[in-house]
Amino acid sequence: MTNNLTDRLNRFQAFWRHFSGAEAINNILVICIILYIWNFISGAIDNPARYLPAPDVVFLSSFDLFHKGLLPVYFGETMARLVTGSFIGLALGIPFGLALGLNKTISDIFHPILNFFQSVSGIAIFPIIVIWWGNSEKTVLAIILYTAFFPVAFSVLSGVRTVPMRYVQAAQTLGASHWQIVKDVLIPGAMPYIATGSRLSIGFGWRAVIAGEMLAGRQGMGWMIFTGQDADRTHEVILGMVVIGLTWIVLDRYLLRPFEADTIERWGLVQR
Amino acid sequence: MNALQDLSVAIQTKLGRQNIRAFILGSIPFVVILSLWYMNGAFQWLEPIYLPSIGEVIESAWTLQEECGGFGEIISLKNSCLLSTHILSSVGRVILAAAIGLPLGIAFGVLAGMNRFISRLLEPIAIFFNSISGIAWIPLAIVWFGVGWVTTLFIMLNTIIWLMFFNTMLGVRGIPRVLEHSVLTMGGSRWDVIKDVYIPGAMPSMITGMRMSMGFGWRALIAAEMIGGDSGLGFMIFSSAEEFKIEEVFLGVIIISVIWMATDRYLLQPLERYTVERWGLVWKPK
Repeated sequence: MTNNLTDRLNRFQAFWRHFSGAEAINNILVICIILYIWNFISGAIDNPARYLPAPDVVFLSSFDLFHKGLLPVYFGETMARLVTGSFIGLALGIPFGLALGLNKTISDIFHPILNFFQSVSGIAIFPIIVIWWGNSEKTVLAIILYTAFFPVAFSVLSGVRTVPMRYVQAAQTLGASHWQIVKDVLIPGAMPYIATGSRLSIGFGWRAVIAGEMLAGRQGMGWMIFTGQDADRTHEVILGMVVIGLTWIVLDRYLLRPFEADTIERWGLVQR
Repeated sequence: MNALQDLSVAIQTKLGRQNIRAFILGSIPFVVILSLWYMNGAFQWLEPIYLPSIGEVIESAWTLQEECGGFGEIISLKNSCLLSTHILSSVGRVILAAAIGLPLGIAFGVLAGMNRFISRLLEPIAIFFNSISGIAWIPLAIVWFGVGWVTTLFIMLNTIIWLMFFNTMLGVRGIPRVLEHSVLTMGGSRWDVIKDVYIPGAMPSMITGMRMSMGFGWRALIAAEMIGGDSGLGFMIFSSAEEFKIEEVFLGVIIISVIWMATDRYLLQPLERYTVERWGLVWKPK
């Protein structure tokens, strides 16, 4: 009898482990627990409207903001900035990284200074850029561009370097020209690193957008949470944070990571 | 001439031709940028309000430190020693956040790595909180703790803990089950497994996580000090920018990056390399 029971339990566990919806149910349960605790805390403290509004207040405020049309506008502005900034950053960073990887002299010249500027974080040069260009759109874009440029450049550089020499030599033996080697061996070989670097860069860019909007006071999600704090509208702050977090999860899980995985599968040199 | 040739050959063999070449080539952009910057002081292509001269930047370090009355005042963070006070308070916060955040992240990471139930509970939370980048917490932290050092510490802790948690958890999960089982078979307790298998086995991943989280944390700290701080390097550059004292801003930015570069190059990177060599499970042929 007990044997039968453990057998069933084991089978149930095996089923649960391979059940595709298990993770979703688990996540929903965790979200429910958090919402419950949150609700409990905000009910227990004084002045919850200021410190921690209850979840339903936050949720309702999203309708309010939607109705006024503010949330879509802010969200759109932030996404537009992220896309433009990281696109320019990648468009500059990938060729630069390739150039560095392909030519030893160029890499010897620029590697140390890149290293230096990489450690000057984008957010730290913000005050300088503000003095140069004021609180303008250009400032925010420059910050995103600056933060997005370095991760991808370094990633591409190491990608080109990890292509095994024998592939290059094999192509050379078969009489490939220098350009053919670059086009058919080195760039495809570096493809997985280009994908990983792009994901990294966009991630850094996302943080930079939020920070840039807060500091430069340009309309967007970062600005929304920042002014929400100034105006004592904590529910908007929390709503903004939730939207920021969810956006990044969706962007990362369902767009960038699959893209990266596909690239690695298609171009990766790792043999399975 | 012969003696000179001998000397150059000796230097080349001692340091290595490639190293010398790399050093000389690598210093070209620095020299170009520095000399352009220096020439700007003389020719004023960009007005001093946009780009201060090198002399002014160096001088501003002394101006900030002008009224300082010796070592005792530096240590007690007197307002008269502005520069050293800002540096020390930033660095102090980093150390404090690391001392609290790293052990917490490691502890939860080990727990989540060894126990499926805990990881089911903590992983979604960690994913969510990790994607609300530390900076987005600043407004809420200001509401909760006001402008001051608690806010900045909170932001940095928040950035450190989740990254550290993830890396430790992945490290613990990557340990082959055989090692754990063999310790249990030989009569080791659960605590023995944690102490002798999980922590050493996850060490390389933990140290990598530490380096990453300190990097992110340092950036987040600077941002937090700018918006919600009342001391520290981020506060210094932000308030100097508002007063258009651009030489102080440049000084601050240079100090920020030099501190991070030095920590990374001379503390975290060697630590990472050593740990991977000492504790790494990857077997390397001699």
